[in-house]
Amino acid sequence: MEETFGGLKGLFSTVTSQAMVEAAVVVAAAALLIFLIQKLVPGVAGRLGGKPRLYLLASVPLLRLVIIIVTIVVVVPILIEPSFENMVAIFGTLGLALGFAFKDYANSLIAGIVTLYEMPYRPGDWIEVNGKYGEVRSIGTRAAEIVTPDDTVVLIPHSTLWNALIANGNDGTDNLMCVAEFHLTAGHDVRSVMTLLRDVAFTSPYTKTMKPISVVVAQHPWGMTYRVKAYPLEPRDQFRFISDLTARGMEILAQHGACPASVPVSVASPV
Amino acid sequence: MKDENGADSEGSPLGQLITMESWRVPETSVRRTVKGAIRHLMAQLRQGITPEEEPFQSLDDLPVLSEWQRERIAPYPDFFAQARTLVASLETLRTTGAFNRDVALIVAPPFSGLRESLVRLPTLEPSEAAPAPWRLVAPPEDLCMTQAQARQWWDEQDLSGDWVIPELGDFWLRHPAGLALIPELLSRMAAGETGQGIIGCSSWCWQFWSRYLPDAHLGPLTPAPLDAERLGRWFGNLAALREHRPLVARMADDGLYVLPIDDPDDGVRRKHAGFLRDLAIASRGNPGVALAVWQHALRARPEESAEADDPTTEESGKYRECWVVHMDQLSLPTMLQSYDRAIGFILHALLLHDGLDQERLEMVSGVKGAPLQLALSRLVRADIIERGDASGHWRVTPLGYPTVRRHLMSWGYPVDDF
Repeated sequence: MEETFGGLKGLFSTVTSQAMVEAAVVVAAAALLIFLIQKLVPGVAGRLGGKPRLYLLASVPLLRLVIIIVTIVVVVPILIEPSFENMVAIFGTLGLALGFAFKDYANSLIAGIVTLYEMPYRPGDWIEVNGKYGEVRSIGTRAAEIVTPDDTVVLIPHSTLWNALIANGNDGTDNLMCVAEFHLTAGHDVRSVMTLLRDVAFTSPYTKTMKPISVVVAQHPWGMTYRVKAYPLEPRDQFRFISDLTARGMEILAQHGACPASVPVSVASPV
Repeated sequence: MKDENGADSEGSPLGQLITMESWRVPETSVRRTVKGAIRHLMAQLRQGITPEEEPFQSLDDLPVLSEWQRERIAPYPDFFAQARTLVASLETLRTTGAFNRDVALIVAPPFSGLRESLVRLPTLEPSEAAPAPWRLVAPPEDLCMTQAQARQWWDEQDLSGDWVIPELGDFWLRHPAGLALIPELLSRMAAGETGQGIIGCSSWCWQFWSRYLPDAHLGPLTPAPLDAERLGRWFGNLAALREHRPLVARMADDGLYVLPIDDPDDGVRRKHAGFLRDLAIASRGNPGVALAVWQHALRARPEESAEADDPTTEESGKYRECWVVHMDQLSLPTMLQSYDRAIGFILHALLLHDGLDQERLEMVSGVKGAPLQLALSRLVRADIIERGDASGHWRVTPLGYPTVRRHLMSWGYPVDDF
């Protein structure tokens, strides 16, 4: 280890103040570029709809990775001579530092690079990780930011990728299936209710009618549960869409005499 | 092929019926597609930055055509003639065995002139193709009914033969209570319980119903799109309705010819501009949209503007001349920025039903009261929708249609195939 630190000392002894200034300028320019991309691209994407929005959002972390790699490639030769010995000394030191002091941070950084390659989630995706559901707002170097429906920002370290289940609702597309549930007491015409609920889904202005629409039903001791499955125009419409389906569905079911099931509170939430 | 009035039926928008599967958008180049996509993106980005809701205006100095000149140079088509052409086209398909169904379902994009033509069928003189007069089937006043009521209503209609529905979109509402009539009609057609008839259907309406009833394979036909050559012949024919001299239209910037298109018989070779090709692409072969843009692109010579309002003026010369402004110089309606879905809901509902009155628009779009009134007012100011004088129905304007379709598509709405 002493040899490594000795080599490292020799390595940086040749660094001049001019080289330091040059490297600092390059790093500052790269940081500024990354900052601008992270601020401007999501703003532009917000003005667009559909696929262009998703593609633009997904390009942000990729652009940032490219800028970081280019910066390293430019800065290292400015500071040191990129010989084999020098590289071994640098990476050996970095490996030791990361291994002991910043293990979890390095874990997240590496997972962040894997995220860009495997793309389990992209900006614009609606994901659920460890019980937190929301839209991926940005993918940082260490963590991803999601915004929940209640406008709370949740930071999810990329290292979660190794051992957590990640549910992705739209997986990079603008198709996200939504489910509206209706609980009715027994004693009604099931086929008629299924037809009515299918009509409700087809006539909601939020419905993407070119995607499949289906109604499934299940029987319970207390009655029937109907699940209307359909796609909203855009993933961000999902909550308004489910609300619209529910309101329209309840209205038409009431007109046709179907009774909503009400479960006793003690059964619904046993404490 | 000339009809009895001397009109060129192959140049007529409804003169060539094809299957929906064989419909193709007029050919475009990669450069034009990329240019169009960039323009659309820029238009979306500009929303909210530049002032909106300004009525479009020409960006050149030439005088626009007066109403009198427009009616002579680029009049609206003779829908009686189009109706005759349509029946003749259907008869030809039946004779050649290319179409053998009793009921012809003709699906066409908005502004194709299909409704206007079919509504005139009952007033046509009986012909060889249709010896008996056509019977118009009008929709009921109240479209909200149960399946049993729908069955009863159709039982009361005489569909035994030679019946016509000008627009199927008038027979439904996108509301759970307004869906009963069309499935009943289509099931009767599929079962062969109806006689010979013609149904006109907006492409947006059919897009919905082909998803709602995925097994409805009724072999819809559609008018072939107008490419540059057919557009040129059609515009020439329209001008010939009122003008007895041939129309010569040239580009205002470089003098290249737009009309007449090259005719191998006259042996004259002219250097033509690409205006008609651009127009065919911009309108996606839609005759109503193309005609609206054509009317707004035409300009009079300055010396002609004085004679414009005087129909008694004796015009000299062998040709009727006018100028055409380049498409890039035309400022067409642009879409409004909206932070909620109201604008999209309204426009989509209007296209699905080929126009709606305010009460039904509220019912279908779910936008009610003040928000609806405000949105309608903004859309009118931007020349994207207009209200029919007679019917009181709100409709998308032909000039606004291309931007409406494109924006609805980018906002995720299901759009038609045309």
